[in-house]
Amino acid sequence: MKREIPLFITFITGVLLVIALFVPHKPFGQLQQTFNDWLIIVGGFTMILGLDSLLLHNWEKIKRKKEGWISSAFLIASFFITLFWGFGEGAIAHRSPFDPSATFLRYFYTYVFVPLQATMFSLLAFFIASAAYRAFRAKDGNSTLLLSAAALVMLGRVPAGQEVAPWIFAFVLLLLAYYFFKEGSKTTGTQKTLYLIGALVSILLIYPVFYILLHYLNGIADWIMNIPQMAAKRGIWIGISLGGIAMSLRIILGVEKTYLQ
Amino acid sequence: MNISFNPWVWVAAFLTLSMMSFLYKDNIFYKIGEHIYVGSSAAFMLIYLWYFDVKPKLVDGFMYNTGINKWILIIPALLSLFMLMRFIRPVAWISRWAIAFTVGMGSGLGITGLLQGFLVPQIKATFLPLYVHGSNTLMSIYLSLNNILMVIGTLSAIVYFYFSKEHTGPVKKISQVGITFIMVAFGASFGYTVMARISLLIGRVYFLLHNWLGLV
Repeated sequence: MKREIPLFITFITGVLLVIALFVPHKPFGQLQQTFNDWLIIVGGFTMILGLDSLLLHNWEKIKRKKEGWISSAFLIASFFITLFWGFGEGAIAHRSPFDPSATFLRYFYTYVFVPLQATMFSLLAFFIASAAYRAFRAKDGNSTLLLSAAALVMLGRVPAGQEVAPWIFAFVLLLLAYYFFKEGSKTTGTQKTLYLIGALVSILLIYPVFYILLHYLNGIADWIMNIPQMAAKRGIWIGISLGGIAMSLRIILGVEKTYLQ
Repeated sequence: MNISFNPWVWVAAFLTLSMMSFLYKDNIFYKIGEHIYVGSSAAFMLIYLWYFDVKPKLVDGFMYNTGINKWILIIPALLSLFMLMRFIRPVAWISRWAIAFTVGMGSGLGITGLLQGFLVPQIKATFLPLYVHGSNTLMSIYLSLNNILMVIGTLSAIVYFYFSKEHTGPVKKISQVGITFIMVAFGASFGYTVMARISLLIGRVYFLLHNWLGLV
């Protein structure tokens, strides 16, 4: 019974939702919305489970004076201050804490929540830059593509980028020409000729690349986002959808039961 | 310099600088800021769920609905209660009923949502004419090339993630085309993400220089 009833509930819920897709009439038509509302309610209560784990873990740290217990004290204090402020505003002032006139939204959200969240996410800019240094070295064709696409999109989306991009790419081509010339001088025969051709092509490309980037960088960035980027993403989305549908079917039909463990 | 005397601006500046101090190294100010963020976010989420989800859908539903619409709410109320049974060890197994409902919902919505929202629209959007007649020859070539690239990119990206057949011979060749498109897509997405993060950083630096110190 402890396994059969949950499997039955999963089966019925899943099948009813699939039926509701194909039979958009009473009583199935409204089922999706009703179930969705129920899921939101149950999901709300699930948050309590997570909070229990978070608070107990930090309370244990404080009780045992483990390393970092001061931070845990701040966590618990900030949790309860926020909680009392939010619910207190509702109970005392009889208004939602999300009302534009509410002190919760005006002070807590603006001066505590937003600075913390925005700064936390803005720090990622630095970590992404360090990750980019490792990932974007033009080691082979694919990483060069990755680097070029990222650079063009980044520079093409900001006015300052559009001003400097032609100079950056011209400088890169000049460096490339220097590299080919230097390598060519070390070799002989056909290889030397190929290196010198590479150097010549790099120099000849400087002006057209400079001109194109100066006038069409924004369009190039848009084209990258709309065509090759969209094509690959579309392939990934189709793959994700097929995988998700297959997994959902396995769960509904009771083949996949790991969620009951 | 027109420094702010609003204590709340000072609180926000302190929290911003505490978080930024991590760039130097992990320190107590960052740890405190991070823990305040976790604690206040958890409480914020709880308040949000109450005011936007549980209260209007369950409590107000019980108070203002009539007939079957009122009494049917007993089911989600019971399921929510079952979810909390995890705290009582002898009857913890009942929480599986609520989990089963959420998993069933996720699976049902997984099939219908993915079909309607992703699979069918994406396939539909990939059925493109390989020749497009533009206003002039150059335009026709440009538009046709875009459509050809879109179809080739989509199909080759799917082949790259197809692992039921070994990637040898023609499959390998197609998947190599796929990885080329995927690299461009990852690069472009990366560039886009960096821009978003940088704009957040600019926002925080502007707050410090303008709202707090009044320098700009």
